[in-house]
Amino acid sequence: MKILGISAHYHDAAAALLVDGLPVAAVQEERLSRRKNDAAFPMAAIEWCLERGGIEPDDLDAVVFYERPMLKFDRILTCALRAFPHSWRSFPHAMKNTLGEKLWIRGIISSQLGVPRQKVLFTGHHHSHAAASFLTAPVREAAILTADGVGEWAAMTVGQGTREAGHTAISLFREIRFPHSLGMLYSTFTAYLGFPVNEGEYKVMGLASYGRPTMADAVRKIVPRTQDGGFRLDLGYFDFHTTAKRSFSNKFVDLFGPPRDPLDPIDLSTPEGQRFADCAASVQRVLEDILVETARALHDETGLPDLCLGGGVALNGVANHRILQESGFERIFVPPAPGDAGCALGAALYADRIHFGQPDRDFPDHPFWGPVVEAGALASLAREDRLPVEELDVPSLIETVAQDLAQGRIVGWMDGALELGPRALGHRSILAAPHTVEMRDRLNRDIKHREEFRPFAPVVAAEDADRYFELPPGGKRLARFMSGVFPVRQEWREKLAAITHVDGTARVQVLDQGMAPRLYALLKAYGRLSGIPILLNTSFNLAGEPIVNRSVEGYLTFRRCGIDVLVAGEARVTKRVMEKTA
Amino acid sequence: MFLPLHRWIWHNPERCARKLFSFAETEADGGRDLVRAAELTQDPTLRRLFIVHAADEDRHAQLFRGRGTVLRRTLPANTSALFQLNWVSPGERGLDDLRVHGETDASLLAFLHLSEKAAAGHFATYVDALKDDPLTSQVFREVLKDETFHMNYTLAQLTRIAPQRHRTFLWKARAGRLWKAYLRLMSAIAGVMGTVMLTLQYFILLPPFAFFAKRAERREPRGWIEIPQDRGHSLTSQY
Repeated sequence: MKILGISAHYHDAAAALLVDGLPVAAVQEERLSRRKNDAAFPMAAIEWCLERGGIEPDDLDAVVFYERPMLKFDRILTCALRAFPHSWRSFPHAMKNTLGEKLWIRGIISSQLGVPRQKVLFTGHHHSHAAASFLTAPVREAAILTADGVGEWAAMTVGQGTREAGHTAISLFREIRFPHSLGMLYSTFTAYLGFPVNEGEYKVMGLASYGRPTMADAVRKIVPRTQDGGFRLDLGYFDFHTTAKRSFSNKFVDLFGPPRDPLDPIDLSTPEGQRFADCAASVQRVLEDILVETARALHDETGLPDLCLGGGVALNGVANHRILQESGFERIFVPPAPGDAGCALGAALYADRIHFGQPDRDFPDHPFWGPVVEAGALASLAREDRLPVEELDVPSLIETVAQDLAQGRIVGWMDGALELGPRALGHRSILAAPHTVEMRDRLNRDIKHREEFRPFAPVVAAEDADRYFELPPGGKRLARFMSGVFPVRQEWREKLAAITHVDGTARVQVLDQGMAPRLYALLKAYGRLSGIPILLNTSFNLAGEPIVNRSVEGYLTFRRCGIDVLVAGEARVTKRVMEKTA
Repeated sequence: MFLPLHRWIWHNPERCARKLFSFAETEADGGRDLVRAAELTQDPTLRRLFIVHAADEDRHAQLFRGRGTVLRRTLPANTSALFQLNWVSPGERGLDDLRVHGETDASLLAFLHLSEKAAAGHFATYVDALKDDPLTSQVFREVLKDETFHMNYTLAQLTRIAPQRHRTFLWKARAGRLWKAYLRLMSAIAGVMGTVMLTLQYFILLPPFAFFAKRAERREPRGWIEIPQDRGHSLTSQY
């Protein structure tokens, strides 16, 4: 069967193609349109997936949208009615927004792709998250926990999945409904702390490490627990359910103090800066507590050793670590794209395995489903600009790049197919030596232009990971797609200063040789030169831009910032004048 | 002709700061569009020029943002609420968005040339209007220098790649700008009409439904809600 999955219209649109139960292609629209977090109907992604699969829209057996638009509209309308008359400003906006395009998905898909309307199917938003998490994990049976801002009505679900020969099932037991949402809670604090919603949540997590959870009780006051182990938001403190303009109320400001002005930098040496850090630490602590308790209850209920996490909240690596340590689950699986982009894949898998009852297949355990980089394109671009280009065999390339890194050069690394999901996992990465604070500052200053409190992540080979990081049992699996934050061993913190966060942790990627063989070889080669087989690995993009896809995008990023060396496939390009800068 | 109006607008530091932030956003967006144009063109000269142009736009964004920030600090504290940029509604695109991938090099150059020319005209007016504020005026002066370069290179390159048809491309770009302005205007009018109609409906039709919705909400259990096991079975339903 040929099934196309689509997610669109809220954040991070994507398309994914399954042929006979296995993924052939999956890509986020932003990587092709070059608009960060592009939520538009992912026509470019769809076209690329079909082209990659070598099929025409007529050949598709089904096109699956990742949520149910009418049910979502039901929620939007009901929330407007519940908030009457305070919702009078947001109501026209919400109606125009929804009635314009988002409600007519079946017609849009049918007309854009030229497929019959009956081939267009819909999965529930959280069923898509659950499928993206469970059906891509190497487990036969697992508990499932999904949490995000909101889907149709659900904002958090728990359930269980089973994969057996001839029978795959995902059963979601319970849900917590909007507006009571952990994702919205975190996003509200993201807005309060002056960061852009749906983009700045990482910053809150990074900032949290600089603070103490002194306001955790105040956060608990606005997220009271319910007797059944759930929670609710005290809506008096929030405005997101009544207006699209502001997510927190004046009562919230009375409780936590004035919000941060987004245009003012955070100065952690001032009491005000420390208040914001404490605020971030407090909401982070409460979020972790609720997730851990929910996961623990789910573990007690199911008795299963494995947990699959899905939804945008699963990107919170600090919380994931605590769930692994405290909930009783032995292993936690977070897919590389747990957010809405991954739902395109989840929706297609759900339709294949459960709706059409196709036999279960083991899902390839990697995130590389996007376009493949072309080395030749990079070489010709660089030659046009008369930059030094080398086209090397793989062993020579690895040795040369390892030497570059050991000499303090920053390397743009493009290898094979593009990752699906927000993390650069070794195919579109900026790599650097992880040893000094100066390197971190240089990356921040010359390339990423981001706040100093945000950490950089390391990548290490699986067999070396325990030497440098305190990984609990199951930690390596969680770190496979950079989904957990773990302590750097005390004795290595000084030598890994560029990737060690202020609290002594790092969001480490633990790499299997089979997943990205060239990066693995590079780690080993770098280890031979430096004595420490670890590299700093950050996504290959500049501020405000999506991760690069093609050679030309990598090349132009390289030209515009302080990256010293660019590698795509076997081609290595340098700038004319290279100095040892770190 | 509009100089007194511009003087009035720019005289107020709050309005001035707000406009500078908005210019910063526009310039930053323009920079991203130019990077995209550089990624798409097959012409190495254009690629290099677009990258230089993009870097200029980024620098302009920083200049505008920097000056806006300084001005904002002079404002009383209670006006800062007006600057809260705390909610982003993702996925929306304006009609005036430049769809770089849909343009040829020539049509893009024509569009850029006219845009830069228009911007240069506006910025020259602002320089005049800001005589009482030499620091802000200096920002526009600096940007204006670059705009002149941008205006010239886009025209020169257009003439190079379409020597016979460059005027046609310019006329087409002018027509395109007019059409987009028309669409923007009509869209704004339609938006206002839609808002008025929906607001009227909100207050006239919705109150009884709101009553029932609120009553239903009060009856809704708190915390976890069981999910019926038949939910999700049918993938043909949008509900």
